[in-house]
Amino acid sequence: MSETSNEIELRGLCRRFREGEREQVVLDGIDLDVRRGETVALRGRSGSGKSTLLNLIGGIDAPDAGSVTVAKMELTGLSERERTLFRRKHIGFVYQSFNLVPTLNVADNVRLVLELNNVPAFQGSTRIDELLDAVGLADRMESYPDVLSGGEQQRVAIARALAHEPAVLLADEPTGNLDDATAEAVLGLLDKLVRDSSHTMLIATHSQHIALRCDRVLELHNGRLRETTSRPQ
Amino acid sequence: MIPATYRASFSYLLRHPWQLALSVIGIAVGVAVIVAVDLANASARKAFLLSMDTITGEATHQVIGGPSGVSENTYARLRVEYGVRAIAPVVEGMISVDGTSLTLLGVDLFAEQDIRSFTSQAQSADPAAPSDETLFSSFLITPGVVTTSARTAEQLGLAVGDTFDVVADGRSRQAELLATLASDASNNPDFLLVTDIATAQEWLGQAGWLSRIDVRVDDGNEAALDQLRAALPDGTKLLSAAGRTRSTVEMSKAFMTNLTAMSLLALLVGLFLIFNSVNFSVLQRRNLIGVLRALGLTRRQLLAMILIEAGVLGALAALLGVGLGIALGEHLLELVSRTINDLYFRVSVTSISVEPFSVVKGIVAGIGVALVAAAVPAIEATSYQPRLALTRSSLEHRARRALPTVTGIGVVIMAAAVLLIVVSGANLVAGLAAVFLLILGFALCVPLCVSFSSTLTAPLAQKLGGTIARMAVAGIASGLSRTGVAIVALAVAVAATIGVSVMVDSFRGSVSAWLDKTLQADVYTGALRGAMDPDLIDAIRNLEGVEDISTRKRAWVEDASGRTQLRVFDIPPEDFGGAELLDADPAEAWPAWQARDAVFISEPFAYQKSIGAGDSLTLPTDHGPREFAVAATFQSYDINASGVMMSRKTYARHYLDDTIDSLGLYLANGIEADDIVAQVENLSAGQQRLYVGSNANLQRESMRIFDRTFVITDVLYWLTLGVAFIGILSAMLALQLERAREFATLRALGMTPTQVGVMITAQTGIIGLLSGLASLPLGVVMAFVLIKVINRRAFGWQIDMSIAPSILAMSVAFAVGAALLAGLYPAYRAGQSQPAIAMREE
Ligand SMILES: Nc1ncnc2c1ncn2[C@@H]1O[C@H](COP(=O)(O)OP(=O)(O)O)[C@@H](O)[C@H]1O
Ligand SMILES: [Mg+2]
Repeated sequence: MSETSNEIELRGLCRRFREGEREQVVLDGIDLDVRRGETVALRGRSGSGKSTLLNLIGGIDAPDAGSVTVAKMELTGLSERERTLFRRKHIGFVYQSFNLVPTLNVADNVRLVLELNNVPAFQGSTRIDELLDAVGLADRMESYPDVLSGGEQQRVAIARALAHEPAVLLADEPTGNLDDATAEAVLGLLDKLVRDSSHTMLIATHSQHIALRCDRVLELHNGRLRETTSRPQ
Repeated sequence: MIPATYRASFSYLLRHPWQLALSVIGIAVGVAVIVAVDLANASARKAFLLSMDTITGEATHQVIGGPSGVSENTYARLRVEYGVRAIAPVVEGMISVDGTSLTLLGVDLFAEQDIRSFTSQAQSADPAAPSDETLFSSFLITPGVVTTSARTAEQLGLAVGDTFDVVADGRSRQAELLATLASDASNNPDFLLVTDIATAQEWLGQAGWLSRIDVRVDDGNEAALDQLRAALPDGTKLLSAAGRTRSTVEMSKAFMTNLTAMSLLALLVGLFLIFNSVNFSVLQRRNLIGVLRALGLTRRQLLAMILIEAGVLGALAALLGVGLGIALGEHLLELVSRTINDLYFRVSVTSISVEPFSVVKGIVAGIGVALVAAAVPAIEATSYQPRLALTRSSLEHRARRALPTVTGIGVVIMAAAVLLIVVSGANLVAGLAAVFLLILGFALCVPLCVSFSSTLTAPLAQKLGGTIARMAVAGIASGLSRTGVAIVALAVAVAATIGVSVMVDSFRGSVSAWLDKTLQADVYTGALRGAMDPDLIDAIRNLEGVEDISTRKRAWVEDASGRTQLRVFDIPPEDFGGAELLDADPAEAWPAWQARDAVFISEPFAYQKSIGAGDSLTLPTDHGPREFAVAATFQSYDINASGVMMSRKTYARHYLDDTIDSLGLYLANGIEADDIVAQVENLSAGQQRLYVGSNANLQRESMRIFDRTFVITDVLYWLTLGVAFIGILSAMLALQLERAREFATLRALGMTPTQVGVMITAQTGIIGLLSGLASLPLGVVMAFVLIKVINRRAFGWQIDMSIAPSILAMSVAFAVGAALLAGLYPAYRAGQSQPAIAMREE
């Protein structure tokens, strides 16, 4: 595997949290390479550190030791501001609880990301139409998040996460708040969109369904990462 | 042991100390302002009453005369021929020692025992000091010996035996401190200089005359009173001592009522504030409340929990407020007593007296406000279905659905205010109540206006500043259940400042125009107190360059219905334009005033008595009560509502008094006012000290006193604005707390802390702008009501309303500035939101 085709490279990544006297080692030396266009499922029990790992990759959090390289950028040395600008350009987030901006309608939620990336307005509008059409919400552009169902909100969140063509899409239990049928539909959509545009995706989940759709499945356990080649039954 | 449910709820508050502190401070300041105003008013009144009581002593009645007082002969006759024992002559006047004003009380120690015991009770710690008897005789024999309280002696830097200068009637006199007087709870001889009656008469220039005769009659002994009355010569009257004191205090009532109203305004803004914070803290605990309800807490238990919490907070804040109020009261007292001294009567208050009643009022107000403010959100919260999460957006929906109803109630309340003004006639308290209804009604309409305007301007914001700007604007309408009340508080506070500023500014303009018209002479001079020396008047009249003079005498006449001030003028006919006659033809009114028994009455007097040109007025004269025709009403901004303008000729026919207290000098062409001022100063030096000033000087001095009167108003409205500022700050902080996840998401999406901060700052700025704009109509309406209703009812005068655009612009700018300032810290905090929070699950 040549160095250049890796979208994500983690080396010796450590993250500890201190709460008073108690120190908790959440990530204890993680090494990982994810190629461009690969989709990776990250499994592990609740509290195993999945979100923590995604935060480190997304530049939201900084590691105590080790290095994170995403889209050829070494994040460890970056300032808070540089990490923000990196995130703005290269990362798309999908959360369990959707996190749409309640004061903006569907179209504006997507537009916000485009504006942050200085996409010209006319170009942005085309992109918004395209994306919302792709997630099946072209007729809900003017709606506000509070009138959408959970599945619809998550579809908007997916459109928002992909709007600026990020290098990496990070999804943290994206179906955790959805019922099975809706989860399946949302997941299908996510999978399709990511593969169509050959994005790199890291998706934290404890759902087996999701894992089945991904190229690789990783298991986080006791602060270490384990590749599970055997697909779960 | 505190139940776990309470701990669960209370620990929430403790974990948000900022919010807790701000709401406590908000109520505390509101309470402090009312306590301070109340204490200052009460202390001034109490000090005045105590000093009146001290001077009055045990006297139940007083014999008073006309402008010159009561003749000594009357006293002698009463005492000797009618054998009234408990009767004492008094000569009273103002003097000054080293610039400090004191009341000079001239008494006859032989007659004092049954009236005032303190005047003869010298206090001496020194056993070697002369005995009471020796003191007593030196008091009678030695001219110029005085006694005063130990505290006043100390303040003046005097020790027993010292001689010092006293300025009385414009002349310097030598006095000697013979002893100090004991003070106790019912006697406070502070700022009182007691001397023998002969000394007082000499110093005050009223030989042969007494200020009054004090009489003590047993309760219910009507026969003695009747006998006494029958023995009195024409022009002297027997009046109840208590009634006289009361009518003096009454004069300042309107002023004190207005101050109280101002202090209630601060509490009203405080009410919005606590409403805001309690509402918020309840809303934020909706999950906790849901859990508790699901666990089986009844609605009643929940309601009790929230109300007890609010009550505890209110009590805490009220206690803090009382402490602050006492401290603030000390400062307000200075302003209040200075204003009372400028305008009404002499009061010397050195320290605030903490009235339990004022303190209780403050505490009750604090707790009451907290409970009322908590009741609405508490009832709302307990109406929730016991499910775990009521989403924020559905809360906002509820809030928005309620808007039209709330606005409707507001309109009804405003209509009620207008109705109240119309039906309440001249009642001041009803007028003030209407102002409060107006504010309340308007306040209820503000949220809908804000919601409307932010919805309307959101697309515009998008055009100007993109999606981030849109979020800033849209956030206002969508956070209305949180920020709405703070916006209202700011709008009300700013409106109040507009109302008061426009009122003061219009008032100032009217007074200035009035002074310009009234003061027609080129130079004014007069005695500082009492009458001018007649020789000096002649000398001034004969000065080179003085073409003509007008004379004035202010005299008080009194009967059982109260005191009336006579302004007696001898004016050259060319100067008749000086008084603006409101309801009569000057061509007819002036000659009548000049020649016949006709008088002019001031506008406040006319309003108070509901009389005008064509009516008649009965006044006590030295020859008994006489009826005078009212020839006209004249415009006046003199605080003494009881003004009657009388010509010198008319006065001379009815009163045995030819003294003059001031002069207006009309100068020949080309004569400099300043030259004449200097010449008059020369003449008066060594004779009688006079004040002298050019027309311009006098106008300037009058305006200075005018402005001084409103210093206290300024202080009060800055405090009100301060409370509103705290409201915005705590609302923005609370909102920021509430929206932590939203900000975290924005940060995760790549907004920098600066971008988030700028967005919040823009939002508060717009909130300020909207509050400022919303405050304009209320402010202007308030100004109108203050001018046309409140001032008219309180003081009787009419002011021309003029709205300076600069006041409006400044107020809006202030609202924006205050909001921006209040938004800085919340904006900073929002910028510091950890993007990781977005990942965390609720
Ligand atoms: N900011 C933080 N402070 C302290 N502990 C934290 C923090 N963030 C996460 N943790 C701890 O790290 C562990 C892993 O958390 P997380 O990454 O959220 O797990 P997962 O997403 O796999 O459920 C948990 O035990 C959690 O308590
Ligand atoms: Mg997680």
